[in-house]
Amino acid sequence: MLSIKDLRAEIEGKKILNGLSLEVKAGEVHAIMGPNGAGKSTLSSVLAGRAEYEVTGGSVTYEGKNLLEMSPEDRAREGLFLAFQYPIEIPGVSTTNFLKTAVNEKRKYLGLDPMEATDFLKMMREKMDYVEMDKSLISRSLNEGFSGGEKKRNEVFQMAMLEPKLCIMDETDSGLDIDALRLVSNGVNKLRNKDNAFLVITHYQRLLDYIVPDFVHVLYKGRIVKSGDKELAKELEVKGYDWIKQEVEANS
Amino acid sequence: MLIENIKTAFTQYKDQAEVSGFSTLREQAYHEFEKLGLPTTKNEEWKYTNLKALANKDFESTCVSSGNVKVFLQNALLNKITANKLVFVNGTFNTELSEIIEKDNSIFITNLAQARSLHAEIFNQHFGKYANIENNALNSLNTALLSDGAFIYVPTNKTVEFPIFIVNIADSSDVNVLNQPRNLIIVEKSAAVHLIEMYYSLGSNSVFTNVVNEIYANENSHVEHYKIQQQEGESYHNNFTQIFQEANTNVNHVTLTLDGTLVRNNLHFYLNGQNCNSLLYGLYMPHGNCLVDNHTRVDHAQPNCNSNELYKGIMMDKSVAVFNGKIMVHLDAQKTNAYQRNQNILLSDEATVNTKPQLEIFADDVKCTHGATIGQLDEEPMFYLRSRGIPEDVARKMLLNAFADDIAEKIKIPELVTLLEEEIEKKL
Repeated sequence: MLSIKDLRAEIEGKKILNGLSLEVKAGEVHAIMGPNGAGKSTLSSVLAGRAEYEVTGGSVTYEGKNLLEMSPEDRAREGLFLAFQYPIEIPGVSTTNFLKTAVNEKRKYLGLDPMEATDFLKMMREKMDYVEMDKSLISRSLNEGFSGGEKKRNEVFQMAMLEPKLCIMDETDSGLDIDALRLVSNGVNKLRNKDNAFLVITHYQRLLDYIVPDFVHVLYKGRIVKSGDKELAKELEVKGYDWIKQEVEANS
Repeated sequence: MLIENIKTAFTQYKDQAEVSGFSTLREQAYHEFEKLGLPTTKNEEWKYTNLKALANKDFESTCVSSGNVKVFLQNALLNKITANKLVFVNGTFNTELSEIIEKDNSIFITNLAQARSLHAEIFNQHFGKYANIENNALNSLNTALLSDGAFIYVPTNKTVEFPIFIVNIADSSDVNVLNQPRNLIIVEKSAAVHLIEMYYSLGSNSVFTNVVNEIYANENSHVEHYKIQQQEGESYHNNFTQIFQEANTNVNHVTLTLDGTLVRNNLHFYLNGQNCNSLLYGLYMPHGNCLVDNHTRVDHAQPNCNSNELYKGIMMDKSVAVFNGKIMVHLDAQKTNAYQRNQNILLSDEATVNTKPQLEIFADDVKCTHGATIGQLDEEPMFYLRSRGIPEDVARKMLLNAFADDIAEKIKIPELVTLLEEEIEKKL
């Protein structure tokens, strides 16, 4: 589904990704871990199409297409979804109207008619249950006045509504208490199936107790320096990142 | 040249002055205008708003209208909602297009010319008492040359059930036209009224509309007042509105400037009693080389009053906006709350905004704040929407509608909100 080869990217002349390669297949959950400044958020930003990041080398192929040539909206409509680390508030744009527009723009892109209002509302109600979202939240402006946990739940709710193929979760666990973490993870687990894939970016192992990954990769200095299964995450939790850093320095 | 046209027009009016019974006031106003002349950019109040192009044109104070106004108005807002309608074409009251549905005949909804004779006592008590002509050239011009306008009188304890449209259409099908609409609105104790003042233009020549509104709100009354400028083409528009509030009154005002070559809105509030609430909201979205200038002034003359002001601008192309918000807190006006904000979004590198808050506070126990912002559409919300599959142009419209929403939500007529959304859609 996703093939990243030797990806290099920088922002304002500062090199962040230095030859990152990764293969993700349908049905898989990959966790990307790493110390602060390793390039975790840069990876998610480059994949989602943030203009500030300049790709200086390598390739990203998504479903056989060159992802890097696509606009952010086309990436989304082709099934890529980024759950933001810091979902922003947009006063004056209602959550319902926003989602209706997003869902119907995707349908338009796929050559489908807009959803009937009643079907749309029914779908909203169903998907809200995934993350136990309070009904009152969707009549408000997008994320306006939401707590940190509500914002993250709203990200997963949007994910459920848009039914993406590839979900990138950018430090979704940051700032969440244990209850919110459980709700968000439950939502994600309900959405997992053989046709979609998840890229779970996190600093801590805690999230991976709930969203159990098939693969764990360690990102350091803009490259994946170690890969393993969920046991690697547990090892990192116990030993921290220093031993990885030392290993890398010793090899270089 | 405009000055000569005005002189000619005044000479003509003077001949009819015996009939209209206005001679002294007109004469006085004309001399004031002659003395002052049209404001130039040397005048601090007109620093960014240059009337030179206007001054060099020829205008006629004509009543002639050859355009098909009826057809023109067919799809206009006033024909979409149940309302009282006072329609003026080139300054002349049009009885065919006007319609009064208010059944209570103690409420007067009519034209000034008629009110001057029928309701002389009320008229004389209020006319010219609120809008100053001294040192104000354009108010003087209006007073010297005024032909007609709306007269609305709501007696004590009465509420006008449906909104009242005051519609001015400038028809420049034949010549450049100069209109001087003049409206007088008196809302007595514990009365309520909803006014919608609209300006349209028709025809391909130039238009100069110079309006004076006097609105008197007696104790405990409620006034909802919207002013919508939709004159298109080569149109110059100056509007002076003086709202005079007695104690315990609520006045909500919204100014929407949707079109016009040069639009200057002068909105003045005078809070003459305690416990008044005054809300001033404005939205402007000039395009091309258009200029919109909002000058507001709130005089807090008495204690315990609140005023809240929010003006928002969406700037396109090479347009220019001016915002000057003056708040005067008089010596006696303790416990005043006065808030003011002006926010602008530049959609073009070539648009300009000049914004200036002006607070003059003579009382010592008050809360006054002001703030102004000028910026581009934020990139973060834009990226967020796009990352959900919403194309850039759709996302921009959503965000601009959201920006305008702070003003739109103050408008209590859904059809007008729809009109506003359509205008935003059209402009982008």
